Amino acid sequence: MTGMLQKMKNAVRSRSIHVTYVDTGSCNGCDIEVLACLSPRYDLEQYGIYVHNNPREADVLLVLGCCTPQWEDKLKGLWEKIPEPKVAIAIGNCPLSGCVFNREGSYVNPPASKHIPIAASVPGCPPRPTEIIRAILSLAPTVFKDYEEKRE
Amino acid sequence: MNEYLYEKDLRPLKYHILTGPRQDWTAREMALRLGVRIQSVRSHLIERLDMSDLENMPARFEAGVAAMNGEDPVADALGRDLFVVSIGMFTPEEMEAAYARTRALVDNGMPLDEAIVEGKAALKEVLAP
Amino acid sequence: MKKTVDVAIPIGPVHPCWKEPVRIKCETKGEQVLSVEVELGYMKKGIERIMRGRPWQEVMFLAERVCGICSVVHNMVFIETMEAISEIEPTERAAFLRVIVNELDRMQSHLIANFSYCYTIEHETLAMYLLNEREHVMDMIERITGNRVNTAYMIPGGVRYDLRPEDAESLRETLALLEKNLDRYMRIFENGPMIALRSRDIGILTKEDALMAHAVGPTARASGIATDLRTTHPTYRKLDFEPVVRTEGDNYARIMVRFEELFRSIGLIRRALAMMPEGPVRGGGICKGGEIRYSGEAPRGELTYFVKADRYGRVEDIAIQTPSIMNIDACTHHMLKGVLSVADVTATFISSDPCIACNER
Repeated sequence: MTGMLQKMKNAVRSRSIHVTYVDTGSCNGCDIEVLACLSPRYDLEQYGIYVHNNPREADVLLVLGCCTPQWEDKLKGLWEKIPEPKVAIAIGNCPLSGCVFNREGSYVNPPASKHIPIAASVPGCPPRPTEIIRAILSLAPTVFKDYEEKRE
Repeated sequence: MNEYLYEKDLRPLKYHILTGPRQDWTAREMALRLGVRIQSVRSHLIERLDMSDLENMPARFEAGVAAMNGEDPVADALGRDLFVVSIGMFTPEEMEAAYARTRALVDNGMPLDEAIVEGKAALKEVLAP
Repeated sequence: MKKTVDVAIPIGPVHPCWKEPVRIKCETKGEQVLSVEVELGYMKKGIERIMRGRPWQEVMFLAERVCGICSVVHNMVFIETMEAISEIEPTERAAFLRVIVNELDRMQSHLIANFSYCYTIEHETLAMYLLNEREHVMDMIERITGNRVNTAYMIPGGVRYDLRPEDAESLRETLALLEKNLDRYMRIFENGPMIALRSRDIGILTKEDALMAHAVGPTARASGIATDLRTTHPTYRKLDFEPVVRTEGDNYARIMVRFEELFRSIGLIRRALAMMPEGPVRGGGICKGGEIRYSGEAPRGELTYFVKADRYGRVEDIAIQTPSIMNIDACTHHMLKGVLSVADVTATFISSDPCIACNER
């Protein structure tokens, strides 16, 4: 039985999300669509999402790009720096399949789920800002809603 | 080479840059100009230049070749400004030593072609000792 | 590279102000930056290697994914390269439509560059204003081409879709709105005393250094080099184009060049809309073989494609020289040298509008 106070806490918890994004070798198209989410038109912050770009304070990690050689070790290190509860969302086709770059002769090593656990993905080349916001909003409550009870 | 805790060995990544088509053409032309093998040019470039320099090497090479005015045939043949100012491949001292040697040989009456071969040999010493 | 001091301050690869991962190591004496080493490789995908041996129909889509911010100009320059090889002429209406979409793309690229700079010097109000204006431009790009980024609008001989009269009307309205708003934002930037403290006389790139590093685009134009390939492009010449040149060479000049170019772009689109004749937008044509070097003016500067195609239009060898390659080199090895405080390093770096995805391909 969840107490009233706990319920309120859970509701607040799932509505205050810090986001960090990491670009592991995309074409920049997804980057600017994530940046466009910040603009007053889409206004991420009205949903309680704050783009912080500091992994040590983040709840949600947005992974963009198709995992180039330099990120082999660093992506995992960055994921480990994020405190629990945490969740990773893959933005765009690149972290899912490598998109057009996953061809013979390229240096990339997709998918991102090889390196870190991916909870949700937003396909598209690039996805629209609204789709990115919707993915964060629909995923965050299911992860953070009952986290404190699960931990006990 | 120093051991670092966090720094990675960048040589394979630099090699990836150097084997890109335009960088490869330029490195080959530089090897031809200096009369050395491409491998020693590559390893020398990887050692001396950082990654942004390597990416920009072709454009700098073009700008350096375009800036040659033909006033000093010895400097142009050795690429005195090209390899020192445009592309930081040799230090000014190394280039000055090779240049001074060639210039002395020319002044002593040696034909220009032979003197330049001597000067390039001095540069080759730096590239592949 | 040879180390001159014991302590180097690394910045990056993940930095709150930077859109893309890059790591620069600043060797400092006190707070003054002595030299900078760049560590790349975070975005190296090997696009040129993938492109080799593929038909132009596939390379076209790879080309615009070299850079997502200026995808239209990559598309345009690659298609114009193939046209130059195969001697195809775009129809007259299509040539003007290309200019319109390219200038819209340049506007959104400049807006995001100035947004990044304002965000980096912590002028968040102006940054958000500019980002909101960018959305109007993106709407127009979407309305004309069907997608926000990676539009694949241009094809050999023409463009994919015609501009409908109602789109032209809404484009005119948007331009009027943008002109009004941007004029206000430019004055905020021009007269802001705090902005001037963070921007004026910081990160100076002299004309000699710019020439040596072969700097291009707004970075070079802010240092007094009048280089703009739009002056030699046949369609732009009809539109009577004059490049913007400033001589200060500091952060302030670079941002102001971009602001002024936004107004030039608005003027170009207006003139193109007025001069555009009726007619077909697809001329057709078959791509042939050949070898060529072709340059066009991207938002960041001179973009060059070296293409060698076989007689079926298959790309045998290709090299892309993007403007960011030169600009990042000019920025890190000349501008950042002598920056008096580490706090100015990020702002100076952003002011040259670096695009790492372009740089590494």
